[in-house]
Amino acid sequence: MKRNAIVLSVVIFVIGLLSVAGWANWQNRRQVAAALSAKQSEATLVADSATMGHMTSPLVGRAAPNFTLTTLSGKKVSLTDYKGKAVQLNFWATWCAPCKIETPWLIELEKQYSPQGFEILGVSFDDLDKDDAKLLAKDKSEIAKGVEQLKIPYPVLLDGDSIAKAYGDTDVYPTSYFIDKSGTVVAASFGLTSKSDLEDNIRKAIGEGK
Amino acid sequence: MNFFAALPVLLGLAFAAQSAQSPFGNLDAKPAKKPAAVSYLFPEQVTVAADKPVALDLHFKVGDGLHVNSHQPHGEGLVPTTLSLPDQNGVRLAKVTFPPGTDFAFPIDPKEKLSVYTGEFVVHAQLVAAKGDHLLQATLRYQACNSNTCMPPHEIPVAIDVIAK
Repeated sequence: MKRNAIVLSVVIFVIGLLSVAGWANWQNRRQVAAALSAKQSEATLVADSATMGHMTSPLVGRAAPNFTLTTLSGKKVSLTDYKGKAVQLNFWATWCAPCKIETPWLIELEKQYSPQGFEILGVSFDDLDKDDAKLLAKDKSEIAKGVEQLKIPYPVLLDGDSIAKAYGDTDVYPTSYFIDKSGTVVAASFGLTSKSDLEDNIRKAIGEGK
Repeated sequence: MNFFAALPVLLGLAFAAQSAQSPFGNLDAKPAKKPAAVSYLFPEQVTVAADKPVALDLHFKVGDGLHVNSHQPHGEGLVPTTLSLPDQNGVRLAKVTFPPGTDFAFPIDPKEKLSVYTGEFVVHAQLVAAKGDHLLQATLRYQACNSNTCMPPHEIPVAIDVIAK
């Protein structure tokens, strides 16, 4: 009788332990699935996606992360310097062919919408050899050459990599964030979009679009 | 079977099941690392004549929907595909010949033609190896884009076991 009770207790204990393990496994899988699903809802960029230009970013609706970067001429520029302005942050690089296609549109659009308080800040993601003064000077010279060739009139800030994380580490170019006059990101675009898409986003930033 | 004899096994199974998946499991499961846009296919190992120039075809594959600039891209500032081999004892890259690129234009600007590689491409290398076994550790550098977006320049290792006899 006593032996049967022990057997029964052990069996119940083992079954209980297995049940807890099963429950824990299920809970864990559920949480991992939820975490992955949340991650996937971010602006996860797929290399061969043809629709990047229409993707969104978790930054939309939030305050644009502030930063201070340096222009080619050595001037420090912070996003807060543009308080009260609608701003397009354009992430680009000299090696980026689609960036070169959209740049003339950006120049035209900035000219068109500057009376409404719109400005563009170009942010270069070209590599900078910060540990080697000679190579760094060469890198800056290459960027300056690219700016000159594209006739970019707006400020171009260096070392975009240093702010990449705050802006979602998308690592694809061109990428633009459209920031309204209160400093909130109202739209984002990834990849080459049409001029009219860019204009729609600019209109959102200046408070005219939907 | 005696129950008490099987008891340690049962308990062991129960504890193994419990510890295999902790309720505080790895919630920080990292998403899979992004695959490289270009992968090195083969060869992994070659046997060559020692101290003589030997031709070697290196096969690469560009991911679906992507392209990389050819070795001679059209347009200034674009990053060409290159193969480099750091100085290493016993193996020397005597010559590298890249295939010509094919024309590619972004749909939104069909007039602007780029020279690119897509799908599989083969780089013809000529190397000279001293007698012995050498692990050739070359690097392919490229810059990839899809139909409307570009990714930063990237490097992948090209490792080949060279047996020179």
